[in-house]
Amino acid sequence: MNKILAIAIMILLTGCSIGGEKRIKIFSVEEPRQKLDYPMPTALQLEELKWIIITSENAQEVFKKLEEAGIDPVLFGLTDKDYQVLARNFAQIRQKLQETNNLLEEYKKYYEPKEMK
Amino acid sequence: MVITLVLIAGLAGAGMYVMKLRSDNAILKANQHKLETAITEQNKVLEQQKQDFTAILESNKKLNVLINTFKKDLQDLDKRFTKKNRDIGKLAIDRTEAIERIINKGGKNAARCIELASGAEHTPEELKATLKSEINPECPALANPNFVEYQ
Repeated sequence: MNKILAIAIMILLTGCSIGGEKRIKIFSVEEPRQKLDYPMPTALQLEELKWIIITSENAQEVFKKLEEAGIDPVLFGLTDKDYQVLARNFAQIRQKLQETNNLLEEYKKYYEPKEMK
Repeated sequence: MVITLVLIAGLAGAGMYVMKLRSDNAILKANQHKLETAITEQNKVLEQQKQDFTAILESNKKLNVLINTFKKDLQDLDKRFTKKNRDIGKLAIDRTEAIERIINKGGKNAARCIELASGAEHTPEELKATLKSEINPECPALANPNFVEYQ
């Protein structure tokens, strides 16, 4: 009788381990990084400037016209070669600006596509 | 007595074996489900990677086109100053007023190119321009997207 009781107790005690402990499940949910979402830089609005060509022949006339218009009779000059250099430099600055803006747009398009917004 | 004990032990063993089989079965089912999910996830990742590669290639292509346009714009600018042994200095002495007008117009066009490069919106005229006489010759690719240069 004691043996049966002992076996019964053993089964009773080990029975708890048959079903096992419930496993803890850990979920990892990826939280996306907040978007920087800067607006694109404001476009430039440049002021217009006027070029005056001055030669040895028209110099007097140009300065006279300036005085008549109430403008200081002084001009900041460039030679024809330097004018070409200036034009080229401005073209390069413009291209760099365009390239940078394009890169920015491409990055934005790649990392922050419209459907993500 | 002994037979009863053996029977009880046998039944208990059989019960435990069945329960183990059921547990194994449940684990295998769960594994199968996990594997299927993993395959779906992997397929999604592969598809996303494929899309990313396409987007990167397209972006590179666009930037290369842009860089080539820059080179061409600079060459065109040089050409305007030196075409047919042109000497802008001598021309300015001979035809001062005409060259002054051209220079001012060119300066205005160049300034507009900078505005556009900084992100300014195109005007309807700029968008409509398809003829050489209508375009901004300083940066036609940027200013007049609908203009197709004829050779």
